[in-house]
Amino acid sequence: MASPTARILLVDDEERFRTTMGKLLRKRGFAVEEAGSAHEALVRVQQGDVDVIVLDVKMPGMDGIQALAKIKTLDPLPEVIILTGHANVDAAVEIMRLGGYEYLLKPCPIDDLVVKIEGALEKKKAREKVLRA
Amino acid sequence: MKEHARYFWAYLPALGAFGCAVGTLSADRNLSGITLVLWGVWSLVVTFFVVRTILQERSKDEFTTRQLLQAQKMATIGEMASGIAHEVNNPLAVIGREVEWIQELLKESPPPDPQAQREIQESLHVITAQVTRCADITHRLLDFARMNKPVLQWVDLNNLIEEMVRLVERVTKTKTVTFERHYHDNLAPVWTDPPLLRQVVLNLLNNAVQAIDREGTVTVSTRDDAKGWVDIAIADTGCGIAPHHLPHLFDPFFSTKAPGKGTGLGLAVCQKIVTALGGLILVDSKEGCGSQFTVRLPRRPIETRKTFE
Ligand SMILES: Nc1ncnc2c1ncn2[C@@H]1O[C@H](COP(=O)(O)OP(=O)(O)OP(=O)(O)O)[C@@H](O)[C@H]1O
Ligand SMILES: [Mg+2]
Repeated sequence: MASPTARILLVDDEERFRTTMGKLLRKRGFAVEEAGSAHEALVRVQQGDVDVIVLDVKMPGMDGIQALAKIKTLDPLPEVIILTGHANVDAAVEIMRLGGYEYLLKPCPIDDLVVKIEGALEKKKAREKVLRA
Repeated sequence: MKEHARYFWAYLPALGAFGCAVGTLSADRNLSGITLVLWGVWSLVVTFFVVRTILQERSKDEFTTRQLLQAQKMATIGEMASGIAHEVNNPLAVIGREVEWIQELLKESPPPDPQAQREIQESLHVITAQVTRCADITHRLLDFARMNKPVLQWVDLNNLIEEMVRLVERVTKTKTVTFERHYHDNLAPVWTDPPLLRQVVLNLLNNAVQAIDREGTVTVSTRDDAKGWVDIAIADTGCGIAPHHLPHLFDPFFSTKAPGKGTGLGLAVCQKIVTALGGLILVDSKEGCGSQFTVRLPRRPIETRKTFE
C-alpha cells in the first residue's frame, strides 16, 4: 500500500469516469484531486505538491501530450501517467521523450493503474533522494 | 479462345483475304491467289498476337483496379472504424470503473442474502468480461487503422516463425494439433519489419489452429527462390474454405466464426501488412480438406512502396 500522503491528480474530461476513479483510489489510501481539463490541471500543478498525475490523452482543448509537455516545464517533479485509447509506438516514444512515466491502455482495471501509480511514486522518491544528496 | 471471339472483327481483314483468295483460285489459277493466301495467313497470325496482347493488358488493368478498390475500401473502413473505436472506448472505460465501484461497495456492505450476493458478483464478472471483450475489439480496430510504418531490418525468418509456432503450440491445449516444420536450411535473411511480420504469422497460425476441429496438423514451411522472393507457407488439415467465401476472405469484419470468436480482422491486417512489406498472400484451399496460406515476400522490398495509410 502506498504512503497515505501520496497526492494524485486525476485529469479527465469524462466527469463520471474521473469521479468514480477518484473514489476508488481514495479507498486505496491515496489523496486524490480532480481536474476536468488540461488548463485546470496546469493551475493545480502550479500550486505544487502533487506526486502523480494521471492524464487522459484525449481531451478537448489541450490534449494529454501537450499538457504533459506544459506540466513538465512548470514543474518537473510530479510523475505523469498517461491513459490512452490506443497503444501507438509513435505516441509512446513521444510520451517517454517528454518525460512521462508510463502509459496505460484504456479501459484498464483499477488495480493495473494502482500498480503504475506505486511505481511512479517509487521513482519520484528515488529522484528526490538524488536531488537532496 | 472465347476472349478472342469477342474481337472477331479484328480477324475480318484476314478472313476477307482468304475469301478473295478462294475466289481467285477457283476462278483461274492465277499467282495472285497464292499471294492472297499468304497475305491471309500473315494477317491472321498478326491479328492473333495483337489481340492476345490487348487481352493480357486488360486483365493486368483489371487486377490493379481490383487492388486499388480493395485498398480504398480498407482505407475508408479503417478510418471509420478508428473513429468509432475511439468514441466507444470512453463509455467502456466508464462502465468498467462503475463495476469496480459496485464491487468495492459490495465488499464493504454485502447484502444479507448470500444467494443474491453470489448472483450480483456473477453479473458483475460478466459485465467486466464483456467490457474486456469490447475493449479487445476497439484496440484491434485501432491497430488495424493505424498500422505503424514498417521499420526494416535484416531478419532470420526461420527464427521469427519458430518463435511464433512455439507460442501457438504452447497455448493450444483443447485440441490435438501436430505442428510440422519444414524450414528451408540456410534461408537467406530478409529485409523486413519483425513485429509486423510476427503479427502476420501469428494471425495465420491462429486461423490454421482454429480451422482444425479436434485433431489435425499444421505445417509451416519456408522456401526461397532464386529470383529474390521468399515464401512462408502455413498449411492446415482443417475445415477448408467454401469457394463462395474466397472473394471476401481479406475483407475487414468478414468472419465465419461464432460471435465472440472472430472479429474478421485477422486476414485484413495480414494483407495490409504484407502489402506494405511489398509482398502478397496466396490462398489455396479445399473445403473439408484444409487450406494453405502462402506469404510471398521480396527479400528486399523496393523502398518507395506506398503503404495503405
Ligand atoms: N486456415 C483457415 N481455414 C479455414 N478457414 C479460414 C482459414 N483462415 C481464414 N479462414 C476463414 O476466413 C475468415 C476470416 O479470417 P480472419 O482471420 O480475417 O478473421 P477471423 O479469424 O474470423 O477473426 P479474427 O482473426 O479477427 O479473430 C475466417 O472466419 C474463416 O472463415
Ligand atoms: Mg483470424
